[in-house]
Amino acid sequence: MTPTEILIVALVGGGTFFGFVAVVGIIRLPDLYTRAHATSKSDTLGIVLTLGGVALVFGADLAVAKTALLGLFLFVTNPTAAHAITRAAYDQDITPWTTEGEE
Amino acid sequence: MAAGSARILVPVGASSTFRNTVAYAVRAARSGVEAGAEAATVHFVSPARGRTDSGNLGDDIAADLLDRAVVWAREDLDRDADDDPAVEIRTAIVGADRYLFSPGDYADAVAEYAAEFGLDRVVVDPGFQPGGNAPMLLPFERELARSSLTVEEAPTTRRTERVPLVSRATLSKGVATFGATYAFYLLIAGSVTPFNLATGALTALLAAAGFSSVSFLTSPSPRRTGARVLRLLLFVPYLVWEITKANLSIAYIILHPSLPIDPEMQRYRAAVWGGFPVTTLGNSITLTPGTLTVDVGREGLDIHTLTGGARDDLAAGGLERAVRFVFYGRSAARIPSPAERGSISAVDDTDTDTDTGSGGSVVIDAVAASRPSDSRASADDSDPRPAAPDAERTGDPGADRPTEPAAESGEEVE
Repeated sequence: MTPTEILIVALVGGGTFFGFVAVVGIIRLPDLYTRAHATSKSDTLGIVLTLGGVALVFGADLAVAKTALLGLFLFVTNPTAAHAITRAAYDQDITPWTTEGEE
Repeated sequence: MAAGSARILVPVGASSTFRNTVAYAVRAARSGVEAGAEAATVHFVSPARGRTDSGNLGDDIAADLLDRAVVWAREDLDRDADDDPAVEIRTAIVGADRYLFSPGDYADAVAEYAAEFGLDRVVVDPGFQPGGNAPMLLPFERELARSSLTVEEAPTTRRTERVPLVSRATLSKGVATFGATYAFYLLIAGSVTPFNLATGALTALLAAAGFSSVSFLTSPSPRRTGARVLRLLLFVPYLVWEITKANLSIAYIILHPSLPIDPEMQRYRAAVWGGFPVTTLGNSITLTPGTLTVDVGREGLDIHTLTGGARDDLAAGGLERAVRFVFYGRSAARIPSPAERGSISAVDDTDTDTDTGSGGSVVIDAVAASRPSDSRASADDSDPRPAAPDAERTGDPGADRPTEPAAESGEEVE
């Protein structure tokens, strides 16, 4: 394996790992707000890492620029979506889960 | 505590949310009666304005509004009446004998009236404009709270406040939209054959014609935009590094068997203004794990934090500095951290007191974080009709408020 290939595998592996973390987070975390944390961030990093791997696979190609654009759009849209969902919940007066509420 | 008092004063002014405010005040008075208060009363008080020699110019409008308020209040009382609790409705015009100018003047007039009739609770319509067009609701509320009155803002439907979507078309906007679209088109096409150049130019022309007045609020200046883009390029690696670092800690938390989280809402008055910078900061905060921008309002950003460590990072203000660096330059980045400025605080969910720093019992919960959930929901539902049809949109009460993040276009980044 060349160093590039190792890097690609590492990036895609890392991406998969954070995607996995996002899924586990959605299942384990207690309420909408905390789950939104998992979906908005771990997801973003996971996809960005995977896209980085994809860009390396293409090498010096126009596709790299497109992949970078994809990543950029994700950076903008992912947190916006999470914000929209949680704000809707906040407007409905859904109280965030706290450690005190547990006891 | 006077918060549950059934002796209520409502300052009256034309606004789109006034109908809901009336409903809320009446309901509050009724629940006061049910809780055992002896004399429930709602006074609708309109500050006089526009005095002339021949009498008060605005009095017709004020009287009209007061009449309408009474009709609405009666309507609500009848509709809700199970055992018809006695709620007295009265109206008045205050301050006709003097010149009302500053928020303090209005507050004094209202407070005097309240003292005269023994009212101890003021329900302020969030759309109330004491001085006509000038945004002075907050100073008015602060002034009122100096007296022994309990001041609260009626929980009404969120008003959509944003600068108009379509702004004036200028040449530089058109050029910027055309350029960005054309570049994007050619990048996606991946070649510069005559066919792509022609179709791209056509597409970009259409986009510029249709959207240049929507994509930008102000005319972009090449120098400022260029500097911002350059600094943005520096910002992105920093952001990616922050995201990676913080993601690892979140991954640790999520995969940890005991799930060591301690969520809390924080209110954060960021030293960043304007739609696009606030959007950038809000999105960056959301992207760095442990913090999630939930709401943007007049009081600042409401941020949901997952762990204590995330809160500390937020209070250290690294992201805020970075965003200030991108938009305002390097010198603007050197400011005290939010923690040092004291502009970050917890949003308490169990108590209705949101500390506004002026002492006393100011209750200004514009974001409605802390209300019993049923009150506002029914305030919205109980009135299927549109609000006051002639409700004037006077000025922009939230001129000091960052605009809605969603209204911004991402175009400027490209």
